[in-house]
Amino acid sequence: MLVLSRKINQSIMIGDDVRIVIVAVDRDQVKLGIEAPRAVPVHRSEVYEEIQRANREALGAAPAASGKPERATLRPRK
Amino acid sequence: MKTGAAMEEEKITVELAKFGACTYAESDVIEFPWGLPGFPTLHRWLPLTVESHPSFVWFQSLEDHQVAIPTVDPWLLFENYEPKTPAYAFTSLEIREAADFATLCVVVVTPNAEEMTINLMAPILVNLRNHRARQIMLDNSTYSTREPIPRKAPASSKTA
Repeated sequence: MLVLSRKINQSIMIGDDVRIVIVAVDRDQVKLGIEAPRAVPVHRSEVYEEIQRANREALGAAPAASGKPERATLRPRK
Repeated sequence: MKTGAAMEEEKITVELAKFGACTYAESDVIEFPWGLPGFPTLHRWLPLTVESHPSFVWFQSLEDHQVAIPTVDPWLLFENYEPKTPAYAFTSLEIREAADFATLCVVVVTPNAEEMTINLMAPILVNLRNHRARQIMLDNSTYSTREPIPRKAPASSKTA
């Protein structure tokens, strides 16, 4: 992991398109501003980790299935 | 859709852990360019249904035949589901309008089948035109990753 020190209002570039700005520091909390293209998702890590866990659990819990598998027809919401 | 195809599309048969033999064509494949959280290296998936579970769409990995994830159309269970989809979902999948895409949510089926939960907080969006998909995390969602599924089935259930 790359560890950098920044003061308030300083920023970090990730790749060409993502910038993280230190907006405020208050005791044990840091407020970060994130500039990223619309195509790039930005989330708190614990949210992403929870989705990972939920997906793995879905796989583990999946019931036995019987019958010939058919390619599902997917449709937009009516 | 292939047009004017004099040749039939080549079909491939694979042996799946859950479903046994399955035959498909390249045009059946859904690509997840970003994989799925928990499965970041798996990009090629096949959406399948089977008779035993008619409401489920199983996303079967073509790169790991052990991996098949059950999903369901969330509106079959929650008529009022209104996901606030963040911009990156539509942008990265090149979705321009509602008719372009389908939405499916991952379900966890407990051994007691009455206690299923559904991930309403991270739906899977599938662009039906370019066959690309992504699991999306909704912004500021009040929905749960483990929303219990109502025991009462929607209107059309038969009584015992």
